[in-house]
Amino acid sequence: MALLEMTNISKSFFGVPVLQNVNFSVEEGEVHALLGENGAGKSTLMNILAGVYTRDAGNVVFDGKKLTRATIKGSEDVGIAFVHQELNLFNDLRVFENIFLRKEITTRLGRLDKATMIRKSEALFTQLGVDIDPTMVVSELEAGKKQQLEIAKALFANAKLFILDEPTTALNNEEIEHLFESIRRLKKQGKAFIFISHKMTEIFAIADRYTVLRNGEYIDSGKIDKTVSPRDVARMMVGNRYSDLSVYQSRELGDVVIEADGLTGHNFRNVHFSVRKGEIVGFTGLLSAGISEIFQTIFGGLPIHGGTLTIKGQRVHNWSIHEAMRNRLAMIPSNRKENSLLPDASLLENEYVSEHTLSGRIQHIFAKRELSNYNALKDVLNIKANSAADLITSISGGNQQKVVLARWLNTESDILLMDNPTQGIDVGAKAEIYRLIHELARDGKTILVNSLEIPELQQVADRCLVFYQGQLQTELSRAELTEENVMLWATNAIHAAEVLSR
Amino acid sequence: MNDKSAARTSQRKNSVGKIVGRYSFITIFLIIFAVFLIINHGATTWSGVMNILRHSTVLGILALGMGIVIVTGGIDLSIGSMLALIGGLSVTLFNATNSPLLTFVAAIGIGLILGLINGLFVGFGGMPAFIVTLSTMLIYRSIAQYYLRSMGLSIYNMNGNLSSYDSFYDFGQLKIATVPVVGIVLVIVTIIMVYLMTMTKFGKSVYAIGSNVKAAHLAGINVPKTRVLVFAISGVLCAIGAFLWLSMNGSLDPATIGKSYEMYAIAAVVIGGISMSGGKGKLLGVLFGAMSYTIIDKIIASLGFDALINDTIKGSILLVAVLAQIVVPAIRQK
Repeated sequence: MALLEMTNISKSFFGVPVLQNVNFSVEEGEVHALLGENGAGKSTLMNILAGVYTRDAGNVVFDGKKLTRATIKGSEDVGIAFVHQELNLFNDLRVFENIFLRKEITTRLGRLDKATMIRKSEALFTQLGVDIDPTMVVSELEAGKKQQLEIAKALFANAKLFILDEPTTALNNEEIEHLFESIRRLKKQGKAFIFISHKMTEIFAIADRYTVLRNGEYIDSGKIDKTVSPRDVARMMVGNRYSDLSVYQSRELGDVVIEADGLTGHNFRNVHFSVRKGEIVGFTGLLSAGISEIFQTIFGGLPIHGGTLTIKGQRVHNWSIHEAMRNRLAMIPSNRKENSLLPDASLLENEYVSEHTLSGRIQHIFAKRELSNYNALKDVLNIKANSAADLITSISGGNQQKVVLARWLNTESDILLMDNPTQGIDVGAKAEIYRLIHELARDGKTILVNSLEIPELQQVADRCLVFYQGQLQTELSRAELTEENVMLWATNAIHAAEVLSR
Repeated sequence: MNDKSAARTSQRKNSVGKIVGRYSFITIFLIIFAVFLIINHGATTWSGVMNILRHSTVLGILALGMGIVIVTGGIDLSIGSMLALIGGLSVTLFNATNSPLLTFVAAIGIGLILGLINGLFVGFGGMPAFIVTLSTMLIYRSIAQYYLRSMGLSIYNMNGNLSSYDSFYDFGQLKIATVPVVGIVLVIVTIIMVYLMTMTKFGKSVYAIGSNVKAAHLAGINVPKTRVLVFAISGVLCAIGAFLWLSMNGSLDPATIGKSYEMYAIAAVVIGGISMSGGKGKLLGVLFGAMSYTIIDKIIASLGFDALINDTIKGSILLVAVLAQIVVPAIRQK
């Protein structure tokens, strides 16, 4: 009998279904890979299991008992431990204090028995092959160690089922191998694992079975063995979606305007590529691929550690955001709310904030001139808003993003770095952004787009560079730009397939 | 057509409500002013009203500096101490040179330096403004007191025998068409600061930093430099305040001058509608906030209360004013 049996699970947020009749089961002593693209419903399903969300319909049976009331504590009590992707550690406490939080060992007088707790922590770490000093303050640990601690903390709990949500994003290969050893050992003791990862190599190395979700629906599950290939799994994850409406048009390209030669920086290394004027180049990869960092480095926001970067024929020295802007570079960062918007400022102020830094020699603001420029760009970009004096937060995400785009058109930039430009934007607005990208490229602007959404890149990109863990994996032409291909390279499944075929 | 005009009237109604909400500092000022008039039973004279302006001058100018610092999300606790140190050094300088003009220029220079010190620690040192200005608050006043003691004096006194003393002192008492000149200076400084913050690119970048520092940085704003400038301006405004203080009083006691002014300035800024977390609020409100507090002094004086009750009333008004600023929009949203 299965340890966990989830049947016909459905869940909607604000009337939008995110899970529809999903079935999912885990056996005792197995590692079960839960697969799907971003937005497929994996996290929602796991959050229902862990009691974070309540389900709208369906049954959950765990360890022979039906789980009815969904609470976080309730699911912890029956033996489900959830290791979240984002770390839930107390940075200002010591390592052992984190492990024993709310489970402190005390002496008979109620005094904390630190020596015992430290000793037990050490024993746990030795068992797991983790090299952490239990008396260190957590904030002093590097990211990989923190992730190891997070996992160790969960394994310390006496759970029957562990949910590991992308547990290896901050780990190096050796640390991953230690983690896998621990998982294999615990597996023998009958513990079960749900393993969520985008990295095919890991899935094929550790998982016994898989379940694939797509768009909130159950697609397939089965054993991981010789009969399935990473390619099959990738195909199941993306399905045979096709882009029904195409705005793509090819253009005449100009001279090379960006040349990266062995460029190395924060989270990426030895990257070579060149981009020509008027080109639209897609960049894709998982969150840990380092593309955001590459964009920030080109834009002068992060330092260059090695290699050379040449912009419009000039090798860059003393690069800064201001220098980049003077060379007519622009970056639309990811996470609009955090990195782009001035929430207390008006539409007009949000649009002009960058232009002001370039034209600072004349400090006076000519309000009428700004307003007429704003209105002109508003028409070009089709921004739907009432008054230029309205707060930026009063308009929709798609229109906000157009204001951010207007901010950079206003500086007359001709190289645009767009980091996830359609994040949190509805379908209609997305199509408009694609159209705008093409119009801008036709006007001779060079555009780099970082996106995890392949249909998006199929809409806009002339070619696509795929990254994995900070390294350029391959370049795909438009013809080769399929979800399967990208998924193979972006998850390093190409190499997993090689390992299996050996 | 009918729909459209209806929409327009409702929009107008909304905007009237919005304007009242946005300029709540005027409402607060008018209420306090009305209380003042009632308590005086019509005995309020024009010169009494002008005295409010005059007595708001120093605090008002300091609070304007505090205002722009708070708009960036920072704070400047050292303004009262800067007043003491700049004032003290200015007295010494005047007594040595007999030149009000030179004193003024030197005061501005000293204010600039003191403000820059704050700004460099905050802007380029990346230290919290609260800590930096708390430290300089202690340092600046202590230097002013120590320097005075080292000269064997107990108070910074301008030398009345100097030939230009009278013209310096008279400037502080001068009235143009019954309006005190120092009050006019306050109004002019307010106008300049309002212009700086609303009609210049620098002002917009100050708001941008307070609103979202990360986005401001990625939009190309030089965040450290802007922070330094903001503190420098606060220092320069303290210098203007110190100069006006001397022309009004002729002397200063470094132990007491400007004590608690940082708190009153913060209160004036907050009553003026500037958010403590930065990014929003109007500098014009600071003028009304400062004047509101001056009137409270007058009310207590004319009621014959003990001056020690003063802070109870000032504190209560601050509480009520801020509560209203938070609660009223929350109710309106429902």
